[in-house]
Amino acid sequence: MQSETSARQWDGTLSPNDFNSSVAALCERWKEVNDSLPQWLWVPFPVVGDSSCNAAGYLTMENVYHQNASEEVSHEESILGDEELSDDATLVQSCGKDDMHVYDYHIVYSFNFRVPVLYFRGYRLDGCPLKLEDIEKDLPAYSLKGLRESKWTFMTQEDHPYLRRPWYTLHPCGTSDWMKVLFGSNAANNQPRPLHYLSAWLSVVGQAVGLRIPLGLYKSQ
Amino acid sequence: MASSSSVVSSYSSSSSDKGSGRILQFDPFQSLVDEGFWHRLSSLKLDSLGLDQSPIPLTGTPLLPSFFSLAFSVCFYAPCSHPKVSNRLTLLAESLPSDFKELQFSLERAHGNRNRCPVPGTLYNMNTFESFKALDRDSLLKKEAKKILDDIHSAKVEEDSAVLSRFFIISFADLKKWNFLHWLAFPALVVGPPAVVLNLRPAREVFNQGEAQSLSAALNEWRNSSLTTGVLYFLVSIASNSRATIRQLKDWKACQDDGQKLLFGFYDPSCRLDNPGWPLRNYLAFISLRCQDGKIQFLCYREKRGFADMGLSLVGEAVISPSKDCRDPQCVPKAVGWEPKPKSINLAESMNPERLAVSAADLNLKLMRWRTLPSLDLGTLSSVRCLLLGAGTLGCQVARMLMAWGVRKITLLDSGLVAMSNPVRQSLYTLDDCLDGGSLKAVAAARTLKRIFPAVEAEGVTLSIPMPGHPVPTNEISRVLEDCERLRDLIASHDVTFLLTDTRESRWLPALLCASENKIAITAALGFDSYLVMRHGAGPLYESDQANSLSTVDGNGGQRLGCYFCGDVVAPIDSTSNRTLDQQCTVTRPGLAPIASALAVELLVGLLHHPNGIHAPGEIANSIMSSSEQPFGILPHQIRGLLPQYSQMTLIGHASNSCTACSTTVVSEFRRRGMEFILQAIDHPTYLEDLTGLTELIESANSFKLDWVDETDDADI
Repeated sequence: MQSETSARQWDGTLSPNDFNSSVAALCERWKEVNDSLPQWLWVPFPVVGDSSCNAAGYLTMENVYHQNASEEVSHEESILGDEELSDDATLVQSCGKDDMHVYDYHIVYSFNFRVPVLYFRGYRLDGCPLKLEDIEKDLPAYSLKGLRESKWTFMTQEDHPYLRRPWYTLHPCGTSDWMKVLFGSNAANNQPRPLHYLSAWLSVVGQAVGLRIPLGLYKSQ
Repeated sequence: MASSSSVVSSYSSSSSDKGSGRILQFDPFQSLVDEGFWHRLSSLKLDSLGLDQSPIPLTGTPLLPSFFSLAFSVCFYAPCSHPKVSNRLTLLAESLPSDFKELQFSLERAHGNRNRCPVPGTLYNMNTFESFKALDRDSLLKKEAKKILDDIHSAKVEEDSAVLSRFFIISFADLKKWNFLHWLAFPALVVGPPAVVLNLRPAREVFNQGEAQSLSAALNEWRNSSLTTGVLYFLVSIASNSRATIRQLKDWKACQDDGQKLLFGFYDPSCRLDNPGWPLRNYLAFISLRCQDGKIQFLCYREKRGFADMGLSLVGEAVISPSKDCRDPQCVPKAVGWEPKPKSINLAESMNPERLAVSAADLNLKLMRWRTLPSLDLGTLSSVRCLLLGAGTLGCQVARMLMAWGVRKITLLDSGLVAMSNPVRQSLYTLDDCLDGGSLKAVAAARTLKRIFPAVEAEGVTLSIPMPGHPVPTNEISRVLEDCERLRDLIASHDVTFLLTDTRESRWLPALLCASENKIAITAALGFDSYLVMRHGAGPLYESDQANSLSTVDGNGGQRLGCYFCGDVVAPIDSTSNRTLDQQCTVTRPGLAPIASALAVELLVGLLHHPNGIHAPGEIANSIMSSSEQPFGILPHQIRGLLPQYSQMTLIGHASNSCTACSTTVVSEFRRRGMEFILQAIDHPTYLEDLTGLTELIESANSFKLDWVDETDDADI
């Protein structure tokens, strides 16, 4: 696969096969360097009748907790009245920690753009999905700045290609261009190794969505 | 560590342990119902109701006529793996069968996933809020708890321990509002007096190093095997040589007899260091009824980043004693386990097709803004109010183009009915609109706009525009005056007026009103194979604050741009009488209307983005491609196109002092005399010519006529 692209200038994209090896490499490396986030897990979605395409599926990292400081949690009056409890063996909990936000991140290969695409969503502990405004409040300042000023990374809501439900995504239309920029002149003729591609890509999109990528991922491997 | 020498001794000498001798309190299960679960439930409901209107009882007879229950829903949980957040019992899309027909739906996808240990449950979905409210939750809880007790007595638990954590959920899915009210219960049997805890401490403090290491290794192996990773309840036996073994629940007899230390282990979703999680409750009931009562030891298994963690996992010792009644398999035990309150989540954001259409349409515009037009002002476009005079070929097409640009407030005005000839050329109508004599065009067009894009605020107004040269019979004067007033109010209450009617004279009153109100007016007009698209200049009486400026001078000091009538030397007259049929109908090449309509809308978008707005000077296409200052390129005044030549040119025409629609004289006179002036202009077309001096101009021109007839043929542009 290297040979198909190395003949002419590399266009910043990734072939389905390279995506696959990239995913495997990332999962392995992540286990070694990650010290706070959950693990990446590949969920295959085999295409019926097409065994050749093993890039169908998504790489998932779920249950990333975000402590939300600002939000006022409203405790509405229950429409039906609360359950009356008279049981000594049940621990009665104070209403805390409800302001926790949970994020799920999926990396999907886009066969149209030939690049990885990040899909993500956030929800409260009661299952209510977060709106874009809520998500933006969770993002660190540098992410917001990037989202406002860069024309390459911006969030939209689109159907998750495998779950068929609207998730937030960073639109992939600029990805191949900034990937070329990222690898600079030394990549003009040489396609980067698959793991390098996905790590470099993750460094940009991770920053955009406030995901702290372990530095170890970028130390010499 | 003081207690690291021996497991057995540490259990008995527990006097210093905190909490010894108190009632064992369990940290209740917490649920999380994923968005996907409701998506799946909605499609199940819609699909099944599409086939059959009656409720679908899947398990036995329904308690109420308006409900269905699903026996095969499943939720998932895993040992707690976060020091501060308890693991939640989660219902996902996969919790439901994808099809009602496949009752025995497979759990293959979930099988072997260490983060998704399946637990069986039942869904009771009610079709109304009232039936949800009326549910006898107490007896439902008892009924479900009885199933657990039966499974204990029948030894089913030993084969499939997950039934001990059986749950159920009652719900009311309001699919019209995408609101999902739900309440979960994790039934816990009360089979005797509360268990008394003798001690409860982190496993690390209880086991010696060898035991802890051996146990961790054994547990990690158990969790990493796809065969056992989903088994929630298990036995831990620790030999005197510190070797730990994990065994299946069904082996409890063998374990009890082999003389080794026995602990009852389970995946604990709780993160609390002082309390075990909820699954232990039914586990203790099972242990006391099937295995042993009195003192027992248990292990609350917890993880950190996917590995057994002896600091978070707890080891406890409790005394349990079931009451005699509960040993009877026929007994109906007491039960607890409802979550404190029902939850309600709204998914309109991700399920309401109208909202999805809005965000999808916005996406295209946002992409355009992000990638090429950073100055694109979507806020202005979505709030600008557009009035379309005429809902024919031009009106339909302009409305569609406006929607494509993100314009949301559109009013269409027309007096006609949809005719049989319309649908093929007028893109908002279908044959249905022509039936039964035809719908009102304005109403039908607005209706179609909403069907195309429900978020549009479209309105249809049926009104005929009073026209000069079409005298008004006395008995209709009041109606005509009323129409004039309505038109004036409409123009005043909109930001932009499109002049898209098929006659010249019907554009006169709107042109005058726009000039008087200083509102943006855009004209599109068609010939057989030529078109004109133009924006009218600012009104003559709005020359900013500069006192001595002339009426033809724009507020910015430049020359005011003309209107549709500025280039004319005759006042508008009746152009429809005495015409042959082909002249009365719109006889134009079909491609013209879409071209002209699109240009009209693009012109407006450019104008709305110009810092000077309505006062923006006219610009002419330059053959030299310069980097234009405006992101939308030049902002022309008039665009004329000739289809036979496939050519198009931009022109500038300045406001005329003798214009019958926008000159100071006419606008001032209208302001002074109001509707009386309009009536006079309608009844006597020459009145306008006299007033503006056009009569004089024509006479003086006629006197020169002989002089310039021969001069040149192409001097007319």
